[in-house]
Amino acid sequence: MIEYDVIVIGAGVAGFTAGADLAGKGYKVAVVTTGEPTVCLSTGCIDLCAGPSAREGLEALPDEHPLRRLSLADMEAALNGFKKTMDDLALTYTGGLDVNRKVLSALGSFKTTCLVPDTMAASPQTNDEAIHIVTFEGLKDFYPAYILSRFPQASFSVYDAGASTTMGIASRFEQGLFREAFVAWLEGQRIRENKIGIPAVLGLEDTQGVLREIEYHLERPVFEVPTLPPSMPGRRLFNALKAHFRNQGGDIYWSWPVAGVEKTGHLVEAVFTPTDGKPNSLNARAFILASGSFVGGGLTATRETIVENIFHLPVFVPSARAGWFEDNYFSANHAISRAGVLADSSFRPEGAGFENVFVCGGILAHAQILKFGCGNGLSLTTGYAAAKACAEYLS
Amino acid sequence: MNFEHCMRCTICVENCPVFRVNPAFPGPKQAGPDAQRFRSKREKAVDEWVLLCSQCKRCEMSCPSGVEPAQIILEAQQRFGAEHPHTPAHLLFANNYYLSALGSLTAPVANRVAATATGRKIFNAFGIATSIPFPPFRFRKLSREKKTRSRSGRKVAFFYGCFINFYRPDIGRKIIRLLQYFGIDVVLPPQWCCGLPALGNGNLSLARSFALKNAASLSNYVDAGYDILYSCTSCGLCLLHDYQRILDVPQAKKIAERTFDLHEYLLRLINDGDIEPAFTEVRRALAYHIPCHLRALKIGYPAVKLLERIPGLSCAVLDDSCCGLSGSYGFKKSNEATAMELGRRAVYRISKTGAEAIVADCGSCRMQLGALSELEAFDPVEILCESLNICAPKTG
Repeated sequence: MIEYDVIVIGAGVAGFTAGADLAGKGYKVAVVTTGEPTVCLSTGCIDLCAGPSAREGLEALPDEHPLRRLSLADMEAALNGFKKTMDDLALTYTGGLDVNRKVLSALGSFKTTCLVPDTMAASPQTNDEAIHIVTFEGLKDFYPAYILSRFPQASFSVYDAGASTTMGIASRFEQGLFREAFVAWLEGQRIRENKIGIPAVLGLEDTQGVLREIEYHLERPVFEVPTLPPSMPGRRLFNALKAHFRNQGGDIYWSWPVAGVEKTGHLVEAVFTPTDGKPNSLNARAFILASGSFVGGGLTATRETIVENIFHLPVFVPSARAGWFEDNYFSANHAISRAGVLADSSFRPEGAGFENVFVCGGILAHAQILKFGCGNGLSLTTGYAAAKACAEYLS
Repeated sequence: MNFEHCMRCTICVENCPVFRVNPAFPGPKQAGPDAQRFRSKREKAVDEWVLLCSQCKRCEMSCPSGVEPAQIILEAQQRFGAEHPHTPAHLLFANNYYLSALGSLTAPVANRVAATATGRKIFNAFGIATSIPFPPFRFRKLSREKKTRSRSGRKVAFFYGCFINFYRPDIGRKIIRLLQYFGIDVVLPPQWCCGLPALGNGNLSLARSFALKNAASLSNYVDAGYDILYSCTSCGLCLLHDYQRILDVPQAKKIAERTFDLHEYLLRLINDGDIEPAFTEVRRALAYHIPCHLRALKIGYPAVKLLERIPGLSCAVLDDSCCGLSGSYGFKKSNEATAMELGRRAVYRISKTGAEAIVADCGSCRMQLGALSELEAFDPVEILCESLNICAPKTG
């Protein structure tokens, strides 16, 4: 029988943040996960709350929003801890609560975010900036024409990288000879604009180094434009979170879907996974549920209702099924985005009666991530807070 | 899980080592769930590129929806193999067990021939790559070891696998000594190749005949109260997973319930308080390359937990890279470039840790990484034995 102090279910931003915090405090922590998380599909930016600044946005949030459970001091501590950790892992983030920054998207529109990865720090802030977009022969889902249609002073050029997927091109950017050839070609384009935008394919390992190398030769700022999945910046963030968790001494169990739970009274004792042979279970004193929302696998919608898949916690269901969606597909107000697990101020699930279960991340009810622009940031800060509550419980 | 659960998030593609370096392979999403929609039993298989998959299972480990692309591809590989003539390299590697038995019997001659330029030419003519040296055969196979007895009543049957038997019987002997040290009875049951090389080379019927023979033998030992131990993670995955899922072995479930990874077994005994090893200091800085199939076993990394108990040892755990060799995969000329590029990347990551030596459970990972990095590559058992001062007896 394997014993841990804490088992975290889910390997996303919330799970790894909570896990690494607890492991750093000396607890024996394991993360179990079905597969890789939705952060791999994200832009790698940390959105906390839409608005001119996250601070102002947070004040305007409705009372039931999970971010309301956190004090500003905790939020600041979570963000600063994250920035410090990522900086040590050569994945620098800039920004903070006081100002939201804009990041140019592949559609030519802007997204607002709280913390920006270094490779997007030079992203233009207004449409009248003169930018040059580089794209790659055959790269699907990235069309410079979208950006050009919104930027009057923009032009583009196309490079043949010999690969047509983001992963394939990123892999080539890790080779010195490829980078030299690319830079030489780019210099030959005689670009007049002040900034150069490249889809986010500048390698996986030492992206900042690659970016600096191009900036050095072209003598102007270069920025990455986030792409549709597969998203390299999302994967870089995932890799860094994983490395940090492991550096703190945590264990990871891949492909370990939780299929059953053992409990006595108000305590969860163990979780199980199905195997080909003998039963596989892990015991712990406390559990953190960070299994995400529908896409992440934490919630499942049935014909009648919405269920939480691991502990069968009570789920806040916004209305009868007919009212889950609005007619406008692109609306940010679909009622279903409110669905999730209600948490109290100590991040324990409400109405479940478990003493040693904590919940954080996208599974939280009323998050409305699209409406309030809190993707990744909600997970980061609630992960921090759940770890804090869990540590209090354990001691 | 059904291929229709795939939501096309492409996370598996990002995790596919072959896709990263070989543009000819369309990746696990296209080769697995996507192509599955178009595969019909009434038409001959035309998807030759499924043979480019190395079956590392990383796609399955990463899928958030529980789809098993590698399993879908493995089935497609078997179908392609059944409907098309096999290349000499595929045939030879599928029959690796018999080939190695012959090589071991004639070890002094076979090793000398394999090391010469002519030997390499012969290999190449059969489509076998020679970028890294083929491991030398050992004359005294492990299967010739006698069974051992103790009084503790804990008894195990050791499934050693071809690599230990034909190439590194010394590691096998160390494993036996290690188990004896803890007072465990060890027997070496009659056994054949686990069948994975045959599966990997699209030879389902051969794999099944190996599997049935092994299962008949191992199930007798399970009935007699033995636990089955394996040390090769790929053999283990085949015994636990493929015997049930694709080879349709009747006793598979029964065997799987009593089969353990060697380190997993020892760790369980330690956690249950049954044994308490007195590890002594080992001054080494190691990089632990996690074999893909150890990940796929879903048992965590038990050898890491054991090594952590050794004073003086530093061990960096690396589980993001595939060594590229994947058993016989990288030894085929058609996959040589892929395997070498992946090996180079894995070695680069190892070199960044500043480790003086490599440790890995899998013999083929060690072969590849050892040859490309010129560092020593150990089985975790060798380090455990070093710490416990256990030496394998010299043999003639």
